[in-house]
Amino acid sequence: MIKQLLAIDGVMAVSRFRDDGAFVEGYGVLPEAELAALAHFAHDYKRIVQGNADQLSMFTGINGWTPPGGWIVRGARMSVCSVANLVCTVDNADGNLSEVMEYLTEASHY
Amino acid sequence: MSVAAELANMPGVVAAGEYSYRGDRFTFKGQISDEMARMAAIMCRATTMSEHMQVGMLEQYCPGCGSSPPQGWIVRGPAMTVCNIANVFCFIDNDKSSLNAVVALMRKRLAGASHDLV
Amino acid sequence: MTDLNKLMVLKGAQAAFLMNDRGELQQHVLADGSPLDETALDLLAHMCVANNAIATMQARGWEANSDNKGFYPINGFTMIGMDWSAITDGNLGVVVSNKDADYEAAYQALAQQGGAG
Repeated sequence: MIKQLLAIDGVMAVSRFRDDGAFVEGYGVLPEAELAALAHFAHDYKRIVQGNADQLSMFTGINGWTPPGGWIVRGARMSVCSVANLVCTVDNADGNLSEVMEYLTEASHY
Repeated sequence: MSVAAELANMPGVVAAGEYSYRGDRFTFKGQISDEMARMAAIMCRATTMSEHMQVGMLEQYCPGCGSSPPQGWIVRGPAMTVCNIANVFCFIDNDKSSLNAVVALMRKRLAGASHDLV
Repeated sequence: MTDLNKLMVLKGAQAAFLMNDRGELQQHVLADGSPLDETALDLLAHMCVANNAIATMQARGWEANSDNKGFYPINGFTMIGMDWSAITDGNLGVVVSNKDADYEAAYQALAQQGGAG
């Protein structure tokens, strides 16, 4: 199912991982090993963002930080977007991050 | 005696504690409140998770170069320092404690700790 | 004037480096036979800057909530790896083997060479 995400403008690769970080599946322009590495990175990053959200919640005493809904890392030419256990790489010139995040959120419920 | 209790008895140690990697529990000894200890456990856990990810990346570039698995980290402030080995943290007063002695004890007592983050 | 060679006299020193505020490697010295290289040190420097930024946020949050002060501003972050520790203070760093690591001596030497303190 997540293969359909490649149809979104700018999406170059997509991977899915389990809660324990194991690579489940990946599609796109990257070799299999790099799709697995992308999933591994996203799993680690998800935990970091969860930690950051916990700390923001703790320090500010304001609700609404946790659980985090996802994250985006914006590079010069490429971005990495993730929601739940899905992650994709996006070419900034061709993609729309709002659209990508919307589709990722939808796909995370599959 | 737990590692945290042993650390708490050392000169200059303000507090020491242990947290679960899952983030669902913590224990501590020392001169801080329960709420501050909870905060300390959340912060230290977040940094440890982050360190593991970063070392994983370093290891991919430089396999077997001696970084992985990471044992811990130290954050140095002007008057206070935080040391963390495995899932145990320790807050120390820079002027009243020996950082080397604290880290040595932690590394010795936690040498067999699992690196699985579970 | 920073002299990285003065950091290399620390026991077990494998490398010493100067980085900018972004973590980019500006200068470095490597001990003979060290498994590290320029690219690994550059990654390590970026890692230390990233963790320093996180620790600075944590120190700020902690001191806003506690009477227990003395963490902010963060002077440095040390990563204790499997075989060696990367100790940073301000924009300076030194990598020492764990079996020889003297963290206090390292912080003193880093401060003398222009670290944060």
